[in-house]
Amino acid sequence: MLAIDAAAYRSPWRGHHPAAKALLAGTLLLCALVLPPWPGAPITAAITLAVALGWARVPPRAFLRSARAPLAFVVTGALTFLVSVDTSGLAWAPGGAARAGEVIGRCAAAVLSQLLFAMTTPLADVLPRLARRRGLAGLAEVAGLVYRMLSVVLETVDAVRRAQADRLGARSWRARWRSVTGLAAQIFVLSFDRARRLEDGLGDRGYTGGLAVSVEPLPLRGRFLALAPLPGVVAAVLTVALSLVPSSVPGLG
Amino acid sequence: MHIAEGFLPPLHAAAWTVAAAPFVVHGVVRLNRQLKENPEAKLLIGASGAFCFVLSALKIPSVTGSCSHPTGTGLGAILFRPPVMTVLGTITLLFQALLLAHGGLTTLGANAFSMAVVGPWAGYGAYALTRRLGGRLLVAVFAGAFVADLVTYCVTSAQLALAFPDPAGGFAGALTKFGAIFAVTQIPLAVSEGLLTVLVVRLLRSTSAAELIRLRVLKEGQVAS
Repeated sequence: MLAIDAAAYRSPWRGHHPAAKALLAGTLLLCALVLPPWPGAPITAAITLAVALGWARVPPRAFLRSARAPLAFVVTGALTFLVSVDTSGLAWAPGGAARAGEVIGRCAAAVLSQLLFAMTTPLADVLPRLARRRGLAGLAEVAGLVYRMLSVVLETVDAVRRAQADRLGARSWRARWRSVTGLAAQIFVLSFDRARRLEDGLGDRGYTGGLAVSVEPLPLRGRFLALAPLPGVVAAVLTVALSLVPSSVPGLG
Repeated sequence: MHIAEGFLPPLHAAAWTVAAAPFVVHGVVRLNRQLKENPEAKLLIGASGAFCFVLSALKIPSVTGSCSHPTGTGLGAILFRPPVMTVLGTITLLFQALLLAHGGLTTLGANAFSMAVVGPWAGYGAYALTRRLGGRLLVAVFAGAFVADLVTYCVTSAQLALAFPDPAGGFAGALTKFGAIFAVTQIPLAVSEGLLTVLVVRLLRSTSAAELIRLRVLKEGQVAS
C-alpha cells in the first residue's frame, strides 16, 4: 500500500465524513492560493502543519516525507525565476528571488493542505460517495474500480521487481532496460488476465453492470463541521492583521 | 512535469480546468456509451486505468544515465484510443495527486490538459499518420510515444510561460527558458519512452496478441508482421 493511503487508513479522523475534511483542507488550500504570499503563505503553512500533526495526529515523519518530493520539485522549478531571457541573452531577473520565494511559499502551504486531506481520508471513503452523485457516477465508478485494482497491481509490480532483482535484472544498463520492458508487459498481461477472470466470475453471479459497494455510513458531526473552516479563517484573519501592521523590514509587507 | 499544487496562479488553474473539461466530459460520455453497450468492458477499463498508473510510475533508464518516468500517454492512447485515455489519464493524475502528492488538485486541469488531452491526441495522431503512410507497427508506436511525451512537455512549458512571463522577454522569453530546460532532459527521455514503448508492444505482440486484436491495435492475421 502507498504510504499516504496507509496513513489515511490509520488516521484518527477516519470516522469523520470526507466532506467535512474536504471543507477543512479546502479552506486552507484556498487561503494558500488567494492570500498574499507574504505573510499568508507561512501563516497558512504553519497552521496546516499544526492541524495535521496536532489535531489530526498524522505521523510527523510520514507527513514530512510525503511533502519532501513535491517541495523539492517546486524549489527546482522556482529556480528558473532567478534568470531572465531576452534577445540579448541570459541575465539575472530583477525581482526573481522575491518571485521564487512567493511561489515556493504558496506551493508549500498548498501542498501541506493537500496532504492534510490525503493523509486523513482514504480514497475508498471518497469514491463510493462521489459515485452516488448524478453526472459523476460513471467516472467515480471507473475511478473506484481502478483504485481497487491498483493495490493488487502494485503488489504484483513489487513481486516482479523482486524476482527480476534476484535474477540480476538490474546488473547493467541493458539488463535494466530488459527488466523494465518485461515488467510493463507483464503488468499489462496480468492486469488483463485478472480483469477477464473477474469478468467471468461476475458473469457467473448474474452481473448486469453495477459495481456499487456498501460503505460504512459516516455521519456529518455538527461540532467537527462547525470547526472545520476555523483554521482557514484564523489564517485569513492573521494574514490581514499582519498585513495592516506597518513593516519595519524594508522590502516586506 | 506535473505542475505542483499551488504553482499556478488561481486564475490560470481555473482557466486550464475549463479548457480540459470538454475533453474529459467527451471522454466520459464515450466511456459511458461503451460501458452501456458492453458492461463487461468496465473491468477491462479498470485494469487499463491501473496499468496506466503503474506505467507512469515505472523508472526507465535515461539516455543521460539517470532514471525518469515515462508519461505512458502514448502507449495508453495507442491501446485505448485518446478519448478513453483522457478519462484514464485524468483519473491517474487525480490518484497521483492524492496518493503520491505528485501534481495537485487545483492544477489537475492544467496537468490533464497537457498529459491526458494534448499528449494522447498528438501521440495517437503521429501513430495513425505513420500507419496510414505505410509505416510498420513498431515505427508508428515509436512515433506515437515520442510525440506524446515531447508534446506533453511543450504544453507544460507553454502553461508555465503563460503563468510566469519573463520580466524582460515576456511570454516568448519564458517559453524559451522553460523549453530549453525541458529540451535538455526531455528529448532524451522522449527517445527513451519511445524505445520502451516499442519494446513493450513487441513483447505484447508475442504474448498478448489476442488482447491487442481486441483493442484493435492489431488485425487478425497481422500478428506476425
